[in-house]
Amino acid sequence: MENQDMLLNMPEPESGKTEKEKKDIKQKALRIGLRVFTYLIMSVGAFILVFPYLWMILSSFKGADEAALEFTFFPRRWSTEAYTQLFTDPNFPIFRGLLNTVIIEVSVIFIGTFVSAMAAFSFAKLKLRFKTFWLLFLMSGMMVPYAALMLPQYRAFEALGMTDTLWPLILPGFFGNVSMIFFLTQYMRGIPNAYFEAARIDGANHFTCFVVIMFPLVYTAIAAQVIFWFVGIWNDYFAPSIYLSSPETKTLQVLLGGLNEQGSGVYLPMSLAGSFLASIPMLVIYITCQKFFIESLAISGVKG
Amino acid sequence: MNDVEITAAEEERVAVIPPKPQPKKRKVSKIERRENLIAFLFIALPVAGFIIFTAISMVFTFVFSFQDYWSRRGVSEFVGFKHYINLFSGMGTPGEVGNQYLKSIGNTLFLLLSMPISLFLGLVVAGLLRLGDIKGSKVYQVLYYLPAVSSAVALNIVWRYIFRSDGVLNYIFGTETAWFADPMLVKCAIIIKNSLNGMGHAMILFLAGMLNVPKDLYEASSLDGASKVRQFFSITIPMITPVAFYLLITGLIGGLQSFADSQVFANNYSGAQTIVHFIWAKRTDGVSGYGIASAASILLSICIMIITLIQFKLSNKWVYEE
Repeated sequence: MENQDMLLNMPEPESGKTEKEKKDIKQKALRIGLRVFTYLIMSVGAFILVFPYLWMILSSFKGADEAALEFTFFPRRWSTEAYTQLFTDPNFPIFRGLLNTVIIEVSVIFIGTFVSAMAAFSFAKLKLRFKTFWLLFLMSGMMVPYAALMLPQYRAFEALGMTDTLWPLILPGFFGNVSMIFFLTQYMRGIPNAYFEAARIDGANHFTCFVVIMFPLVYTAIAAQVIFWFVGIWNDYFAPSIYLSSPETKTLQVLLGGLNEQGSGVYLPMSLAGSFLASIPMLVIYITCQKFFIESLAISGVKG
Repeated sequence: MNDVEITAAEEERVAVIPPKPQPKKRKVSKIERRENLIAFLFIALPVAGFIIFTAISMVFTFVFSFQDYWSRRGVSEFVGFKHYINLFSGMGTPGEVGNQYLKSIGNTLFLLLSMPISLFLGLVVAGLLRLGDIKGSKVYQVLYYLPAVSSAVALNIVWRYIFRSDGVLNYIFGTETAWFADPMLVKCAIIIKNSLNGMGHAMILFLAGMLNVPKDLYEASSLDGASKVRQFFSITIPMITPVAFYLLITGLIGGLQSFADSQVFANNYSGAQTIVHFIWAKRTDGVSGYGIASAASILLSICIMIITLIQFKLSNKWVYEE
């Protein structure tokens, strides 16, 4: 950005002084105009995108009849009815939902990340025969849509008596995550081999090399992947909605989806309040790690 | 885990033991073989996961697509290509499977329209941020990307509320449009919602792409007297087409698998039924339902695999290089 400013201010040797001044003024006016225009458009866009959240929060404080029957921006009468309903409705055990989501998050992320990082270490630093084949083998899974797998998987979990439990959502996570393996492999390749050679000479085995040397070196990259995975699992809806049917096993998102299906009326402020509460953790993570989210996204898109 | 440690410990012993007077070649290959084995154990779980959850599942979907299935008795019967033929027959008659399937394909493809729109909007705002060179560009980036990290369910619930007949939209425009009662309008609502919510994602990738354009291109052209706006259209835009391509392909792959729009936003309304929703709803529909759903998911996977392969071929971003 600064470079371009400098370029614009660069003196042009041929033009006369008055002409140059005129040009400068014209360019300055143009730049200010463009800036004002940018602020205007960007703010309008930002308002449109943030409005749903504002309205969600405001409307969750409306009474059921007000929310369902008429349009008001601010609640006419602030009521916390929706929230009390949310916490007392036996069909919407919000804490149970939260617990279920957290159980999936913790077990999948702890084990899945460890498994993924170990595989990445093998791909990046160990002498593995047919390495390219195995990596492509794993990556080919990325192009198979879930739709092609869900029917037999459902039947298999049904046969094992695992439907309506959290197992179908946890078990696949234990086997690692291919995009994480791929990303970490790329990242670990950048770590100098000398670290491991030195450790090997000192008698460390490969597993120790991985846990004691590699893990601390790449843990920021792992944390980055973990945050993305965390958000993904938190917001996951399709698979949980397929497997979970009773209120006690549902995750937060599935509970919310269920509230929505009940339709309008009493449930409207309630589902808005639920959406708001379920969004808070993600909002907090996003706002605190925003720099990191946006930078990682930018890298993933441009360099891959 | 234990296996790994044991072999790893053995390996350690081998590495530490001083070399015995043996032919040098054989010893190296033995160590290498051990390392190969350990390296394979390190990737064994992901490979097993792939075989169980992807490869075998895929084969079963394929097999099921040729079978009728009595779920209560757990009996299957081979019926050949019946389900595939069913999917493509009776397309003109309402109520027939083929008709529903065709409609769900039409809906899914129509909803893909949100992709070019959000791409265009993302390019416009990225370009504005780049040209306008304003303070607080980061704040806008954070706000615009917000929908991408939000839960689809929560977003759909709120947007459903916005599009209600007595919602904000009708209030602002003074209309009484019933967005959820008309197959066309409900799809338009989904497109509007997705275009807006997808714009931030596109914007950030475009901005990153713009930063990657070599600086000397701008320097050279500004020496030739090109204005900033001119530079934007003749240098920046051509240079970021790979980003647009990437967005288009990933958007296409995601869009073909859309489900929540259909289930949550449109609340299972048939006018907005997508392919994946069709597959899931069909599954329990009589003895043929399961097979038909499997056949439809095989066809969908083939499409998605072809698109992914095209992406692999055309861009080297994901290609693994030794």
